Amino acid sequence: MVNSSAQNPQVAPGGPTVRIGCGSGYAMDRLQPAIDLAASGEVDYLAFDMLAERTLAQAQMRKNVDPATGYNPELIPIIRAMAPFVDRGVKIIGNFGAANVPSALSATVEALRENGVRNRVVAAIHGDDALDALRDLDPEIPDLGVSLSELGERVVSANFYLGSEYIIEALRQGASWVLGGRIADAALFAAPVCHEFGWSLDDHDRVAHATLVGHILECSTQATGGYFADPPRRVVPDLHRMGFPMALVRDGDMTITKLPGTGGIVDHRTVGLQVPYEVHDPSAYLTPDVTADFSQVTCVDEGPDRVLVSGARGRAKPSKVKVLVGVKLGHRVTAEIGYAASGCVGRARLAADTHRESVRYVDDQISEIRYEVVGLNALVGDRFESPDPAEVRLRMAAHCTTEAAARSLATEFDRLYIHGPAGGGGVVSDVKSMIGVYPVYVDAGLVEQRLELVES
Amino acid sequence: MNARSESGVLLRDIAYSRSGDKGDISNITVIPFDRSDWDFLVENLTTERVAERFAGLVTGRVERFEMPGLCALNFVMYGALDGGVSTSLRLDPHGKSYQSVMLDIVLPR
Repeated sequence: MVNSSAQNPQVAPGGPTVRIGCGSGYAMDRLQPAIDLAASGEVDYLAFDMLAERTLAQAQMRKNVDPATGYNPELIPIIRAMAPFVDRGVKIIGNFGAANVPSALSATVEALRENGVRNRVVAAIHGDDALDALRDLDPEIPDLGVSLSELGERVVSANFYLGSEYIIEALRQGASWVLGGRIADAALFAAPVCHEFGWSLDDHDRVAHATLVGHILECSTQATGGYFADPPRRVVPDLHRMGFPMALVRDGDMTITKLPGTGGIVDHRTVGLQVPYEVHDPSAYLTPDVTADFSQVTCVDEGPDRVLVSGARGRAKPSKVKVLVGVKLGHRVTAEIGYAASGCVGRARLAADTHRESVRYVDDQISEIRYEVVGLNALVGDRFESPDPAEVRLRMAAHCTTEAAARSLATEFDRLYIHGPAGGGGVVSDVKSMIGVYPVYVDAGLVEQRLELVES
Repeated sequence: MNARSESGVLLRDIAYSRSGDKGDISNITVIPFDRSDWDFLVENLTTERVAERFAGLVTGRVERFEMPGLCALNFVMYGALDGGVSTSLRLDPHGKSYQSVMLDIVLPR
């Protein structure tokens, strides 16, 4: 599906082009922009990044309650929406499986059939579940300063970050839909680029180039005007209906663009900001496929909503692979109450003191508690204090070792209505189980992947 | 170069920014609207000034990386997110708002 510019006059000149679109940037992203890209005929692949750091541990908790769940809850609606385009040859890649790749595979095959897609190959990539391997190894978790075994039953998940290798193999074997669990975000996009061009994963500069494609596209509208508007200087048209980004990838450079008529903006600013996004040292961005060097990347406007990107280099991938370990850490409770007009900050602080004293009886189950005044110091800290605003919200957040204690804190907060300072209104509160996620780096040789292919 | 008052240059007037999170680390990218302001930023938007701006929010060190092709400065702040997104009790556990806090830095003329 590598198009030459002669056969495909709408793509930029400069050799064969692989056309890849972003299907989603997180687990609950908008679906319509993905449908628009698939229907446009302008992309050959759509890649869906559905996992953030916490998503997988939460999915594992759902699966512990109901073993049939644990894959992305939006998977079936996505399949329903994408089925007609899969039938026309658009290929879909995503980490839809989350904590339950086998169930995601059977659900995908079934839903494709129900939606009239027959004789297409669905590929599942197994092997991201690292819990057994890690229990054998029993590594220390650096952020916690304890070994895995010391955490006992509190460990709910451990997942290797997988690279492009098995996605490429799935595509080579003709897969139309590729799914897995903790596949690294950028690999979902890098794999089809490497596959179409026939690049070896040892060709570090090219793999870094393909990884940069994924790095720019993986957060959906963050490349097309999302997370950017700050009027009057930074204006983005039609934020409510921004197009998702697509890449026209060539050997050596790429054009980032979006569909005409969609909202948003693609220029050297919106794309340029995405290059260092969540990257630390730009000359050594570590992925399961390559050590990428983005330090010399350039983004140049080549037309309206078109940016030319080039300059990624690469070195061999790290010998260690990242594993994210999910650990149950009790419960988190948050609550808010509002105060207005003169003296509102003082009354909010009095409410905080009142609440703190009222929950002393569960102090042994509170690991951490904080109060802040939204409108004054909740986002920026006390050092940026300013005069009384017209209204404020007192916010309480606490980490409790038991759910009962967390609920007591919420109930006592609710009681501020009648037991607290004058004029407190609009209490909201929330209690949730809390899962910490912590990285561990282990020998890449521990990863054992397996490909499973099923025809729809 | 524009928007320089007697008191100094408000970063917001000459640059834009984006913050991201990974564990307990926040990184903030700052890029000038006008490429001709790049040298000024390299010279003046130091790790010391950024660390001072985020004192009380960031407990660890601040590093700076230059990306000349993008005219970008990438600041990496350790101990920046109250332990990290998954366990932080802060209202903004990702530090999404940090990009705006950064732009209120005033640089000497």
